[in-house]
Amino acid sequence: MTNNVSHENLMRYLDGEASPEERAQIDAAVASSTELQRELVIFRSMKNDLHAMSFGLANDQSVWGAVHRRITRRLGWIMLIAGFAISGVYGSYLYFSSAIDAWEKLATAAIGLGILFLLGTVIYERRKEWRTDPYRNVYR
Amino acid sequence: MQPEIEREVIRLAKSGDPRSYEPLVRAYEGPGFRLAVGMLGSVDEARDALQDAFIKAWQSLHRFDITRPFGPWFFQILRNQCRDVIRSRQSRERHEVRDEQIDVLPAGASSDPRRLHERSEASLILWKSLNTLGDEHREILVLKELQGFRYSEIANILEIPEGTVASRLYHARNALREALVATDAEYP
Repeated sequence: MTNNVSHENLMRYLDGEASPEERAQIDAAVASSTELQRELVIFRSMKNDLHAMSFGLANDQSVWGAVHRRITRRLGWIMLIAGFAISGVYGSYLYFSSAIDAWEKLATAAIGLGILFLLGTVIYERRKEWRTDPYRNVYR
Repeated sequence: MQPEIEREVIRLAKSGDPRSYEPLVRAYEGPGFRLAVGMLGSVDEARDALQDAFIKAWQSLHRFDITRPFGPWFFQILRNQCRDVIRSRQSRERHEVRDEQIDVLPAGASSDPRRLHERSEASLILWKSLNTLGDEHREILVLKELQGFRYSEIANILEIPEGTVASRLYHARNALREALVATDAEYP
């Protein structure tokens, strides 16, 4: 509190958020206190300079292009994975319900499962490695 | 953007049409950029944070209450994104061998403002001092001075009472004043 003016009221006065009655009270307090006047001069000066800076902070490159690409890319991945899953399930159904010999079906299934298993373990290892890497936030 | 138009645009975006999200991005990227640069002190990091915030907002749009304005909700997301960037930067700095000659300001902070706009000596000192403040102080000053938000809007974004906004602003301005004194430069 400075000269019966609380810090909060002083800020509201400075930022034009004080009521007319509060303004009148603070005007009177400011008129009779050089300490308050000095404080207000500094705060006003900082306020005006910071406000002036905001005009220089113009975004000259829209981010929409990048945002749009990222939004639609996700959609693309979802469609690709869904397409693969549907085709895979349907293809497997057609293959396993066909008249091909059982041993051939078993061999094909083993190859397919083996590839999936290897892919799964590689993804799992890479993910584990990434999660425990203490330097993962370090830009190399 | 008019509130009714904004609501209509959000309704369309919620239905999953990415193109209808464009007016929202265009309307909020300017103020969002100012907020991010103010908080991060780097144009490149600010642009990345802004992009990520728009993506997060898009992904959470289904949870957004259409009767409320988009701005405060989006600025909350952006503010959290900026805080994540600051945290990640701090963790990165802990792992890096610090060169004694490196300025204490975040990368690009000392040169970006100069490149963006030719400012007076006093403004440059003020900018540098702003970047030495703690996150909480810098954040509220950016919202008030660079963005020009009213107390009620700041309270909404930071989820604090309006009285706390005034009190935090006083402490932040005082901290900035002390930071300016510490530079030994003449101000104002």
